Amino acid sequence: MEYSNIRALLEKYWACETTEEDEAELRIFYAMNEDALPADLQEAAPLFQYYHDASSVELPEIEIHGPWEETKIIRPFWQGWMKYAAVLLVALGVGHSVYNFQQKNRNDGNQLAFHDTFDDPKVAYEETQKALAIISKNLNKGKEQMEKLSYFNDATGMIQGNNN
Amino acid sequence: MSSEVFLAQIMPIKQKLFRFALRLLGNEEDAKDIIQDAFMKVWHNKEKMGELQNLEAWCMRITRNLALDKLKSKKYRITDHLDRANEVPASHQQTPHQRSEQSDLMRRVHSIINALPEKYKTILQLRDIDGLSYQEIAEVLDIEMSEVKVNLHRARKQVREQLQNIHVYGIQ
Repeated sequence: MEYSNIRALLEKYWACETTEEDEAELRIFYAMNEDALPADLQEAAPLFQYYHDASSVELPEIEIHGPWEETKIIRPFWQGWMKYAAVLLVALGVGHSVYNFQQKNRNDGNQLAFHDTFDDPKVAYEETQKALAIISKNLNKGKEQMEKLSYFNDATGMIQGNNN
Repeated sequence: MSSEVFLAQIMPIKQKLFRFALRLLGNEEDAKDIIQDAFMKVWHNKEKMGELQNLEAWCMRITRNLALDKLKSKKYRITDHLDRANEVPASHQQTPHQRSEQSDLMRRVHSIINALPEKYKTILQLRDIDGLSYQEIAEVLDIEMSEVKVNLHRARKQVREQLQNIHVYGIQ
């Protein structure tokens, strides 16, 4: 058998000059010729035997689990109850404030001013006169005080006039 | 990226990543954990996947970094799995004597390779067992291609010296 080609390949192998094909050829050669090799070729035989064996060792299939397994979990609608509760609370809040606002407007006292309080115009006229008399009386009371004030005002004016 | 695309592109390489992690850690359970973590990391960085040229190399790089972190943490000790050498298929061997001699030899080679510095060992394994190109190894390890070649040369040189010892003095 011609070994010179293998010898050359082996030298290239040790010098890291072999291509992947060359190395495959060496592996095949050593796998096929286990015995009766010339002494110089026997040196590398265990190594290539080891490579051959190591690459053909069967490993157990491994299981890997992760988030990439798309398992769609369908939840019953009530499991997202918080969002429904939130919507309900907001609706209740808005309803309550609208109700309060309306109530407040209804109780406003000014509303009475625009309603009729008397049926008979005559009585109404008398009542109005009474009310206006009270106002007039009170205004005159105030006016008396104001007259005193104007008295002081004149006096102040005279003093200031003298000074000037 | 949808989960279908992720599963279609990444799931097929899980055994390859597992083999790689197992070689680094020497322990199946830890290797499985690392692969699980690596997949989670890839999933969380899935936006980057579109920009990548070599997805497989990227995944291997993530796996290697996680495995090395694990090795560094808590003074992890790689138990050299002597049992594993016995698991090597030995169908074509004839006698029990030959078989035992052969597994002794395989065990010896295994320990020679495992005794190499991590970088040498990984480069040698990626090249000679997994058959990756220099370019692919450079991407996995995130180093220059010239560095891959230099390290591979040193690794093979060391292995050769040890093999010569075996060859000359027999199994020790």
